[in-house]
Amino acid sequence: MSENEALETHLQELRRGTVVLACLRLLDEPGYGYSLLEQLSTRGFETDSNTLYPLLRRLEKQGHLTSEWNTDEARPRKFYRTSAAGNRLAAALTEDFRAIATAISTLPEKD
Amino acid sequence: MNATLTDRYIDAATRSIPEKQRPDIAAELQERISDEIDGRLAAGDTPDAAERAVLTELGDPDKLAAEYLDRPLYVIGPRYYLTWWRLLKLLWAIVPVCAAFGVSLGLVIDGQSFGKILGTVIPVVIQTIVNIGFWTTLVFFVIERTTKSADIGLVGEWTLDRLPERRTKGAGFGDLITALILLAAIAGAVLWDHFIGFVYLGREGGWMPFLSADLWPWWIGGLFALLVLEALLALAVYLRGRWDMMLATVNLVLNIAITVPALWLLGRQQLLNQDFFPAIIPESAETVTTVLAALFGFGIAAVAIWDSIDGYLKARRAAV
Repeated sequence: MSENEALETHLQELRRGTVVLACLRLLDEPGYGYSLLEQLSTRGFETDSNTLYPLLRRLEKQGHLTSEWNTDEARPRKFYRTSAAGNRLAAALTEDFRAIATAISTLPEKD
Repeated sequence: MNATLTDRYIDAATRSIPEKQRPDIAAELQERISDEIDGRLAAGDTPDAAERAVLTELGDPDKLAAEYLDRPLYVIGPRYYLTWWRLLKLLWAIVPVCAAFGVSLGLVIDGQSFGKILGTVIPVVIQTIVNIGFWTTLVFFVIERTTKSADIGLVGEWTLDRLPERRTKGAGFGDLITALILLAAIAGAVLWDHFIGFVYLGREGGWMPFLSADLWPWWIGGLFALLVLEALLALAVYLRGRWDMMLATVNLVLNIAITVPALWLLGRQQLLNQDFFPAIIPESAETVTTVLAALFGFGIAAVAIWDSIDGYLKARRAAV
């Protein structure tokens, strides 16, 4: 494995949980897959659509998201929204992320 | 917009999805594909190129379906892998040997030739190995999918008690296999001797057995029972991971149980075929018989004594 590939793998692992957190916080306002994908991208959470769509289904199955089909427009869209359980999860994840960020800032660093 | 590629993709992806979820996933996939195509159109792609690019990026439809449903994309997952592999190794170590032994035993009793036996046993062994591999894997495959990888007690929690003893010399897997093969060879040789003979003496003499024919069936049956016990002892040593005083004592008892009757029979001239030595060495047969019988008796006794002592030596070494 080249250094670049290793970097990619580690970055992916580091970001995995943050996408869940970002989805739960962003979907406080109902949103559908593609809009969420764009929001994530503009906010700096680069996410692959092959990761996002299955993730939304999984979070819904776990009860952290609820969904509803919107058929008002020409194209029916499935709107997801964070549930109460999802909000609690988001709060816990945010808190943990802050703790990790603090812990990292105290690590010795080479400049 | 050319919709047929998209329709075909959705069909392929939802084919394996349970009826109840199919409409929902199909609609969600339709939304996703349309949105992504629109995104590419806005970026300046032609409709055709946009559709192709989006569907290519979605990848294998079966893989996509598996990801939507959280279906495993492997045969045996990490929860069951080690249990599956350990069981498979154990079965592979035991069953083919037993099958080979059983089949060849039947053929020997039936009086088949060596070549015929070999020609039957080898395919049986190969079939046994393949069948064990297939059925064991199938069972684990089904268990994993029916339980959705949940814990059903098949894989107990690992505790320190499961830590294997340090294997001492003489209690490894190789020793077990050697012991089992040796015992099978002894049993095979005795049967061969009884049903076919030990030495071929030409056309008139025919096959001449080494052991007395009167030993059949009770004495030989007793010997086989003891050989089975020896095999169990070898297995016990392997499972325990080392020799200990109790196993060494069992070994001693088994050796006595084999040797004492053998020597007693030898002394009464009932162990060996009384026609054997005269037929092979016609001159001064009586002396030869006496000398060779004595050597045979000492041989049996020496092996038994050494084997018994060896058991205790290994037990003592393992105890240190």
